[in-house]
Amino acid sequence: MMSAPLDRRRTAGLMLAVGAATFAFLAAPARAADDVLVGVIQPLSGPNAQFGIGAQRGTELAAEIINAAGGIQALGGAKIKLVAADVPTPNTAAAATQRLISQNGVSAVVGAFVSSTTLAASEVTERAQIPLVTFAFADQITGRGYAYVFQVSPKGTAFGAAQFDYATAIAKAAGEKIDKVAILYEDTAYGTAQAKGLREAAKAAGVEVVLDEAYPLGITDVSPLVNKLRASGAQIAFPVSYLNDSLLIIRALRQQNIDIPVIGGAAGYIIPDFKKGLGAYADGVLSVAAASGDMIPDLARTYKDKYGTFITHEAIIHAAALDAVAKAMEKAKSADPQKVRDALATLDYCGGLAAGVPGGCITFDKTGLNTSSFPIMVQWRGDAPVTVYPPKAATEKPVWRGKTVE
Amino acid sequence: MRNLFSPSRAALLLFFLAAALLPLALDPRGHLIRVAAMVLLFAAMAQSWNIVGGLANQISLGHAAFFGLGAYTSTLLFLKLGVTPWIGMGVGAVVAGGAAALLSIPTFRLKGHYFALATLAFAEVMRVIANSLGDVTGGPVGLSIPFMGSQPALFAFRSVASYYWIILGLLVAVCAVFHLLASGAIGYRLRAVRENEAAAEVAGVDTFRVKLTASVISAALTAVCGTVFAQFTFFFDPDSIFSLSGISVRMAMIAIVGGLGTLGGPLVGALFLIPLEEVANAVLSSQAAGLSQFAFGVILIGAILIQPRGLMAYWLRTPWAKTRRAAATGA
Repeated sequence: MMSAPLDRRRTAGLMLAVGAATFAFLAAPARAADDVLVGVIQPLSGPNAQFGIGAQRGTELAAEIINAAGGIQALGGAKIKLVAADVPTPNTAAAATQRLISQNGVSAVVGAFVSSTTLAASEVTERAQIPLVTFAFADQITGRGYAYVFQVSPKGTAFGAAQFDYATAIAKAAGEKIDKVAILYEDTAYGTAQAKGLREAAKAAGVEVVLDEAYPLGITDVSPLVNKLRASGAQIAFPVSYLNDSLLIIRALRQQNIDIPVIGGAAGYIIPDFKKGLGAYADGVLSVAAASGDMIPDLARTYKDKYGTFITHEAIIHAAALDAVAKAMEKAKSADPQKVRDALATLDYCGGLAAGVPGGCITFDKTGLNTSSFPIMVQWRGDAPVTVYPPKAATEKPVWRGKTVE
Repeated sequence: MRNLFSPSRAALLLFFLAAALLPLALDPRGHLIRVAAMVLLFAAMAQSWNIVGGLANQISLGHAAFFGLGAYTSTLLFLKLGVTPWIGMGVGAVVAGGAAALLSIPTFRLKGHYFALATLAFAEVMRVIANSLGDVTGGPVGLSIPFMGSQPALFAFRSVASYYWIILGLLVAVCAVFHLLASGAIGYRLRAVRENEAAAEVAGVDTFRVKLTASVISAALTAVCGTVFAQFTFFFDPDSIFSLSGISVRMAMIAIVGGLGTLGGPLVGALFLIPLEEVANAVLSSQAAGLSQFAFGVILIGAILIQPRGLMAYWLRTPWAKTRRAAATGA
């Protein structure tokens, strides 16, 4: 027993050593001479991990493609090297972003899929004067007058409006007049922003919203919601949610034989796990989306060969986001964050990886929003969603209540 | 006071001296100083928690409620009325103190797990309220501290070092309050409550009043930490500021891993946990998803299994601390 305190003291010493090693590690910056470093922040763990992983794969694939094509020509063929950080919650975003900036010395940051996490990260990038290119689309992201934040996709309210307008247009073409709709959304930044767009679009169209329900993220019993939906007499249901609740809602609807068309609000409705969780119930579900694999077949094929699933819109848009950063570096002939930011602000190009963004171009306006992109509507066909609306982007015709709409 | 230069005091002094000198060695706008500031801020939070959790052994899992009240009060006062967060910080402390007093009436009859559950529910209620009162609180989108360059009067600085000094000052103040409470009459009463509440009553301790005082002070200090956190991280939303795992449990965990009810516990706990988590994130988060949290969790479980009484137990066992062991609040 005499040796016990000594052992404990040794353990304490070990812990101190771990602590010291910790600081020593944090203090040592690491970077190769010729690479240009770009930070990638995504939720790689926690409830939004599958979106973050998809988004990161898209960014990685884009880096591989750009590097294979000779890297940044203007910088002597410098290769893009990604530095990833996991940001499961907004609380972790500030520290992680700061780490990428001051430890790794990144020239730009891409990512954060989740809106609140992106908002938190953008507060750091703005203060550090490092450009942040994102797919997250809460309206506040470009609504604060910040100079260093760039958003590749339209705003959340624009998605909500498109979700409503496209669906009613398809219904109209199928000969159904819509008078009553239902909005179900989770009470997150993304859910509330998109629900606001839906509500305003319905009001503008003179359509009655017979059910307007917020529910908490991570809901486990949706039957009260579905009962309300059934009783409301709505002709279309617009749910806005991440994955798990979307599965619960669709399954509950189909099991109760409620056949009202469901128009999902992107996120959980258009990822491989949606099909995995629902099987045949997934078929025919419509959803608004920021991009779809059928718009950029080459990238979609490479992605599928590499990762075994169809390419998600977060992967396509984040690939385009990194492409924009690379193009800006070409244009600026520099990896200096300030010059990259200035080049991003005046960027105007089409094609390449930007072809995956509806509209096919990247041009940021004064607030940092890509004005040339627009939301699309996709519909599940077999194992993947295809673009069905608007006609200028569609690769297949939409199906409404079982019949093809011409 | 006869033992003015006891080893425990010397160690404490050394800690603060090192903390005060640290910024001189670090890039004032870098990442390391941000990590160091986070260590001090979480130490201050855990020390605030330690007043009720450690001295009175009322294990609260809802201190995020007060933390969030502080952050929301000061930020909303600034955004809506233009009141500087320096004043908002004080208002937040009063609001949180009031909330703690109100919460005390029904919860102080509860013991052990039931008290923990009631406080946990309180923080959850605050989160739901903040989420649903979108017009007032900004709702689930959260609140941003506007970027306006360096304006000391408005609690805004360009360099992280300025925040570091403020947080260090806050930690010193919170530790001083803890020490005064622990070594004063109220500390003895709180420990009496902790050991045996009925016996304390019999001995003439007004147990309700003692616990009430402690929890109001603890909540007010936590709210001040909340304001500083909001200013320092520039953004918060209901889910992150009222977070159970991110705030409530972390405050308790740091105090417990460091050493419950000791002055040095929260300092040691934060010094151990926050950098460890940061390293786990820096090294592992670009590897397999979730690996960093997994590693962090494993080390945490290991630390608690090896030394259930907290890392401070190692200090208390050294020959220098032994002389002071009778006064269990030392160091």
